Amino acid sequence: MTSNFRSLPVIALLTILSLPLVVMYAFTLVDSITDAEPGSLIPSEFTFHHWRFLWDDTTGRGSVWIATINTFIFAGSTAAIVCATSLTSAYALSRLNFPARRFFLAGVIILHAFPTITLIIAIFLILQFLGLFDTLIGVIMVKAALELPFGIWVMKGFYDTVPWEIEMAGVQDGASRFMVWRKLVLPQVQPGLSALLIFSFLSGWSEFILPLVLAPGSDAQVLSTYLAYFLLDDSLEVDFNLFKSVGLFYALPVILIYLAFQKKLMNIYGGGSKG
Amino acid sequence: MPRFNALGFGFLAPAMIVVTLFFLAPVILTVFFAFTNMSTSTGITGGEYLLTQSDLRGLKSSELSDSTYETLENSGYLIDEAGLARLAETRDQATADELARLHAGAQFDSRRDMERALKDLRDNRIRSTRDRKALAELFKTSVMDDRFQTRDEFVTALSAAGVPDADQKILVKEAYTGWVWTTENMKLLFSLDSSWRYAMNTLFYVVLTLSFNVGFGLFLAISTFYLPPTIANTFRTIWFLPRILPPVLYVLMWYWLTWDTGIISSFMSLFGMAPRNWMLDTATNAWIVVILINGFVGASLGMILFSSAIKTIPASMLYASEVDGANRWQQIRYIILPQLRWPILFTSSYQTLSLLTSFEYILLATDGGPGGATEVWALAAYHTALNNYGGNLQYGLGAAYALVLVVIGIVTSFLYLRFFNFKDLVAKPRIEQ
Repeated sequence: MTSNFRSLPVIALLTILSLPLVVMYAFTLVDSITDAEPGSLIPSEFTFHHWRFLWDDTTGRGSVWIATINTFIFAGSTAAIVCATSLTSAYALSRLNFPARRFFLAGVIILHAFPTITLIIAIFLILQFLGLFDTLIGVIMVKAALELPFGIWVMKGFYDTVPWEIEMAGVQDGASRFMVWRKLVLPQVQPGLSALLIFSFLSGWSEFILPLVLAPGSDAQVLSTYLAYFLLDDSLEVDFNLFKSVGLFYALPVILIYLAFQKKLMNIYGGGSKG
Repeated sequence: MPRFNALGFGFLAPAMIVVTLFFLAPVILTVFFAFTNMSTSTGITGGEYLLTQSDLRGLKSSELSDSTYETLENSGYLIDEAGLARLAETRDQATADELARLHAGAQFDSRRDMERALKDLRDNRIRSTRDRKALAELFKTSVMDDRFQTRDEFVTALSAAGVPDADQKILVKEAYTGWVWTTENMKLLFSLDSSWRYAMNTLFYVVLTLSFNVGFGLFLAISTFYLPPTIANTFRTIWFLPRILPPVLYVLMWYWLTWDTGIISSFMSLFGMAPRNWMLDTATNAWIVVILINGFVGASLGMILFSSAIKTIPASMLYASEVDGANRWQQIRYIILPQLRWPILFTSSYQTLSLLTSFEYILLATDGGPGGATEVWALAAYHTALNNYGGNLQYGLGAAYALVLVVIGIVTSFLYLRFFNFKDLVAKPRIEQ
């Protein structure tokens, strides 16, 4: 494009607008490993003191490592359940002939758009009935269920792009539809599957409301509730350097995954489901 | 042919089970719960029958007959045949005989008097206080302050205490501690001042945040479109991060920005301003922060969607407009914006629903404060049913709040169904089997 405008003013404007965010990011990094004089913003010394939560439990909220393991289990199992179930059901919706197919498809679209968070009260009571309240497995099931319509929707999109000719050739050669799906179609949607896997893992990793409401105890706590405890408990002394270090520790996998899969994420987040 | 039907259903089955249990069931149950008075005090499973003094006091003036009231009020402990038989069974015949000799037919108003009577026993001393307490219960004739597991047990006890059948029904109703069906929640919903305030707050919040999201998202998408790729990508990364960072960490950063020990206060103190909590000190500030927190995340989504939509505009169109002498502003106004009509519509409708119902960021940031100024509808539902300072969580009323959102959600989702080109989505499978 020819330059019939000067980009400098635009860049300046964008820089000013981005400043709050950049300052937030930068100081989160800097403050977690430095100390500053009281009232001053310029760091004066280098320290690992703010990461002490990693080796001793100064927070009174249990070990951060248990929360970390819980978060991995939570995000990992949710992602696995979402991927496995949407892999099969999306194929059925995309390619298989069965009665009431239109009905199921409409159901998926409606559920996909439906604001799931409004169901939290009923889910809370259901888990109480089932005896799954305050357990990791309960939260995992709920999170997977709420994420599933989105997963099916995305996978259906990927299945739709697989050429029919591949399947027809397979059927022609005498393979069953199941065989065709396993041997011919699955490899075709592999990129979509990994994108969905990453997305649902990140979504589980960041989830806050569900663990907060459905697993409030310290046994099943995940990193989001562990960190939120610092913010929401008024009796705690405000130590932003410590909070930021915990936050950074929590966000580390997210940042790493983002750096590794930037392109993939940009695409799938376009259709994502939050704010 | 049937085999492939089986395959289709088999493939769908796991998803259907999970979705039914944790998705459809909650939708239906929200409706049910909205018409109950469930709360922490009623419990969620079932209730017991427990008649207390305060229950009685509430009833005195109404339907209950005076004689029944008298009976319930005054009956206490009676040493009768049945009670002595129970005593003989739990302890021994000798004790029962001695008590019969001393106090047969005696009536006591309080348990203390009854225990004293048991203390009088000389030949068969009951030494531990705990035992006396337990044995005193054997002679209890009152149904007051006693827990009955089932309705039948309670009715039997009432009859035994001499309450006429006519009065039993109302006592049963009053004594039940479990939840019951009621339409009270719906009436409350429309009569409470606070629910109108929540509705207005929600409207205010959704309109302002949505305008910010779309407006700022457009600005980011268009301005980065014209910048050299490296600079554009830097800015896009900066603005993409709020969306991908965990909400708790993102809000933590805002705390640090706005709190009295945070950076704005520190910076302002250089100019002699006293530190203050910029997030919570006034309602206006709280709203600004809430809208910016949500707005940055929303603008992030807008930016991604609009950027990819702009990329699909054929470059030749843009070149042609430049040859015709269009400047940047005209190019944006007459070429880019018309192309973005659908993405803007989609983003707006999608985010309206999501802003209406999500409360994650407000909960973390202001928790509805200061003084309920930023309490939106969804947050009110959460506070009523799942987390309030009073401690009595009103599941029923909370579900009624949620039900309003569920209905809006269902209606909007059906509208989406019309928006999406449904015919294309359900194109018939081309392999007949």
